[in-house]
Amino acid sequence: MIKLENVKTSYPNFSIVYPNVTFAKHKITFVTGKNGVGKTSLLKAIAGLIPYEGSIDYQGFATYHFQEPILFNRSVYENIIYPIKIRKLPIENYQANLMDYAKVLGIHELLSRPAKALSSGEKMKVSMLRSILFLPDILLLDEPTTHLDLESIEQLVALIKQLKSKITFIIVSHNKAFIESLQDATYALGGHHVYR
Amino acid sequence: MILEGFKEAIALLFSLDREIYSIIGLSLAISLLATLSGGLLGIVFGIFLSISKFPGKRMVKKIIFTFMGVPPVVLGLIVLLVLAGPLSNLNLLFTRTAMYLAQTLLVFPIVTGNIIISSEKTQQQIIATATTLGASKKHQLLLLFTETKPFILLSLILGFSRAISEVGAIMLVGGNIRGETRVMTTYIALNTSMGNYAASIAMGTILLLLAFMIHTIIAKFRGDFYD
Repeated sequence: MIKLENVKTSYPNFSIVYPNVTFAKHKITFVTGKNGVGKTSLLKAIAGLIPYEGSIDYQGFATYHFQEPILFNRSVYENIIYPIKIRKLPIENYQANLMDYAKVLGIHELLSRPAKALSSGEKMKVSMLRSILFLPDILLLDEPTTHLDLESIEQLVALIKQLKSKITFIIVSHNKAFIESLQDATYALGGHHVYR
Repeated sequence: MILEGFKEAIALLFSLDREIYSIIGLSLAISLLATLSGGLLGIVFGIFLSISKFPGKRMVKKIIFTFMGVPPVVLGLIVLLVLAGPLSNLNLLFTRTAMYLAQTLLVFPIVTGNIIISSEKTQQQIIATATTLGASKKHQLLLLFTETKPFILLSLILGFSRAISEVGAIMLVGGNIRGETRVMTTYIALNTSMGNYAASIAMGTILLLLAFMIHTIIAKFRGDFYD
C-alpha cells in the first residue's frame, strides 16, 4: 500500500497539491486528469526522482518507467538483465521468467539484437521488461502505450494481468481501452494548482 | 611551389634529419600530454556540470563556453603574464612545461564544453533511468562512462586537434627556440615569415598526415561518427 498525505510538488511559478490517497497493494490504479495536472510529477515524486512536500509512505522499491525510455548501448538481453546484475542477483533464477515475459510481449526473438537498433515500439517493450523482470514492489508506468500498436497494447495488458499478484501498478494513461481492460481503481487529478 | 612543397615533405620525412624528427616528436608529445591532462580534467568537470545542480551553474557553463572560443594567443598571453609575474621564480617561461600548461588550458574548456553540448541531456536521462532501476551511485557513474564513451572520445579528438594545431599560445610561452621549444606549427610560422614556403608546406603536409593517422587509429576504437 502507498499512502500520500498532503503531498505538494513545486515549480518556479506554481505548485501542485495532491488529494490524500492510499493506493491498494497489488491493484492497478490509473491516475487520470488533463494535461498539466501533475500526473507525471506524482509518479516521479513517488519514485523519489523529484522533491516534494508532505509524506509518501510505502514499503519496498518503486520504479518509474519513463514515457520516452532510454535503452543502454548494449544488447536487448543485457538491457533487460541490468537491474538483476547491479543487484548481484543470480541471473539463472530469472531466465525462465525473462523468456516467458519476452514471449508475452513478442520480443523474445530480439534478445541478441543491439537495443539502439530497435523501433520505438520495440524499445518501449524492452524497457518495460527491464523495469518488470526484477519484480519491483511498485511499478509506476507513465503513458506505457506510447509508440505501441494495438497488438502490442494487448500483449502489454496480458503481461500486466499476469504480474498483478506480484506488483502494485500505478499507471498514467490516456488510452481508454487500455484503462478499461486493466483498472481496479482511479485517482483523478485536477484543480489543485496553486499559482504564485 | 605547392608541388615543390609536397616533394620537400617527402624528402623531409625521409631525410633522417634529427631536428625535423625532434620537432615532430615534441609536437606530438606535448599535444598528447596536454590532451590527456586537459582532457581528463575536462571529462570529469564536463560530466559533473552535466549531471549536477548548483547555484551559478549557468554562469560556470557560460564561462566554459566562452573559453572554448578564446583566441589561443590571448590565453598564451595570460599564461605568459602569470609565468613572468607571480610564478617567475619557477623559471618556466620559454620551456616545454610552459607550452604544455598553455595547451592543457586550451584543451580543458574544449573537452568540458563539448561533453556538455553533446551529451548533457543524455547523461541526465541515463542517471534518471539508472536511478529508477535501483542503481547505486557507483553503478550510475560506471554506466554514465560506458554510455557516453562516444561523446568522450569525440571531445578528446577535438581537444587534441586544438592542441596539435595551436601556434599562438605556444609561440608566446615557448618562444620557438630551436632544438628546445620549436614544434611543427611554430616551425611553419617561422619559415613562412622568412619566405620558405616550401618548408612550410612540407611541414604542413606532415602535420595533416599525422592528424589523419591519429584519426584513423581512433576510428579503429570507435567508427560510428566516421560513417
